[in-house]
Amino acid sequence: MSSSATQVNVSNNVTAPSGALMAPIVQMAIRDISVLFRTPWIIISRSLAFVIQLFVFAALISKLVNVTGLDFFQYYAVGSVVGTIASISFIIGYDIFEEAEEGVLDYLLTLPVSRRQFIIGRALGGAVRAMIYVIPMFVIVAVLENFSNPLSIAGALLDLFLLAFGITGLSITVAVSVRNANRFDVVLALIELAIARASTALYPIAFMPSYVAALAPFSPVSFAADSTRAALIGASLDLVSLAGLVAFVVIFLGLGAAFYFRRVEGGVYA
Amino acid sequence: MIVFDKAGKRFGNLDAVRDFSLTINDEEILGLLGPNGAGKTTLMLMMATVYRPTSGTITVQGLDVIGQPNDVRRQIGIAFQDPRVDGILGAFDVLNWHLKMTTALSKPEREKRVEDVLKALDLWDARGKRTWLMSGGMKKKVEDAKVLAQRPKIAVFDEPTAFLDVPSRLLVWNMIRELREEGSTVIVATNMMDEAERLSHRVAIMNLGKLVAVGTTEQLKNTQKGGEVLELTVGDGPEVTQDLLNEFSEVSQVRKVENRIMVYLNSGRLLLPKIVETLTGYGFKIDSVHLKEVTLEDVFLSYTGQRLE
Repeated sequence: MSSSATQVNVSNNVTAPSGALMAPIVQMAIRDISVLFRTPWIIISRSLAFVIQLFVFAALISKLVNVTGLDFFQYYAVGSVVGTIASISFIIGYDIFEEAEEGVLDYLLTLPVSRRQFIIGRALGGAVRAMIYVIPMFVIVAVLENFSNPLSIAGALLDLFLLAFGITGLSITVAVSVRNANRFDVVLALIELAIARASTALYPIAFMPSYVAALAPFSPVSFAADSTRAALIGASLDLVSLAGLVAFVVIFLGLGAAFYFRRVEGGVYA
Repeated sequence: MIVFDKAGKRFGNLDAVRDFSLTINDEEILGLLGPNGAGKTTLMLMMATVYRPTSGTITVQGLDVIGQPNDVRRQIGIAFQDPRVDGILGAFDVLNWHLKMTTALSKPEREKRVEDVLKALDLWDARGKRTWLMSGGMKKKVEDAKVLAQRPKIAVFDEPTAFLDVPSRLLVWNMIRELREEGSTVIVATNMMDEAERLSHRVAIMNLGKLVAVGTTEQLKNTQKGGEVLELTVGDGPEVTQDLLNEFSEVSQVRKVENRIMVYLNSGRLLLPKIVETLTGYGFKIDSVHLKEVTLEDVFLSYTGQRLE
């Protein structure tokens, strides 16, 4: 032992502050984000995969696609960023499922944070984490395609953030609704596949098979992809898509919170 | 003060905690003993507002766990049985984040407190090591350190010295006592009789979700008539029942655990030959006989029918 217990410099007990609304939310979010910075190799490997996808796959396909008025490389590049942030935003659900299985969730729920702050903090942390992941990819696309209008860039980042925030809510909802670990993996993977692939992120609706084209306009990834392209390429606002994104965020944060409370109170994680 | 008033928690058809009533006084160390599945963890998680009681009430420092959960959580710190730490973070970061969430300390104060506790627990040199790479004992100390650094009004330790070597165990016990001396109320859930006996002002015994006994260790020992236990190690023999030794009015209880029969009685020294003779007459092959004063373990066995290992 390097020192005895009596050497500990103690002061009076200081209880957690009350009344602060944002501080616990921010701290919960920082916890999720700090985990990301402990594993920078994940960001690096994902960025490399993105670059390869862009300069090999997108470059190749864009030579095959010859449609008047469509710069497919540009279309694909922007859509890839949107698709990537959607995919990464789902990770928070896996984190929460794992925390519940390992009992870390019990610990987190004993902290002096209201349940609403907890949910918002986790969703915010997941969304900011996803944004940090895709910023390098966004910069690559912006440089390649010469997107330099600050308002357009701000609008596009807002779209990406809203999508990430909504998907973290969706992911949390699934994490607390599905009990079996294998079923959880399958369900989340299928949802991810459906909303990312049946979307306008990578392909225009006009070229989709009819059964995919029927679904794609309702995908939140389509809302984000269309709105981001409108901001970056058209320098305009796609209000319908933006409204769709906001509705997506509200619905799934609400559902995530509702399912979360019910699940915890039901003692499923005991 | 913590007041449980007929508190209960039901999960589906299972009553994890039933009709639990107990008042824990300020600045008291309460030892909570119970076999696995007795409901200790559920009880603590109800008190910490993680689970909502399905019956009865629980108040912590006068705050109702259902009506004022956020205020209750500000009073409490829990060190879990299995360490609940982010494996990817080091001990310093784990504690620093925990204090950010649970105290109003300034950054320098917080970091100083983390440093002090990590040094006291001999973890300072490993402060940056990811906790998933730590040994079970080190991880357990990080878990305990969260509450020792937090210094909450209500400190809960679930098996605080599991996986720890003897010097570390003594150190943690001292730090828990210091916490109490500073004004914290402490609950120690444990399976170790010596831990409960050495640390606690009172011991509460839970079994099958219910509180079956509470008192100082002396009071609990005194609940066993005469305060003596005859422990017989036996080979083959018939089923052991209470009426086996009915003819002796001094025998208050008979329990059998594995190959040992525990006879709780008065005047053991005088009765010993007669009891041995009676049991032999029933066909028991007695390998050894040991007469002793009642220990907390005997009390526990008497109330729960189980031994803690």
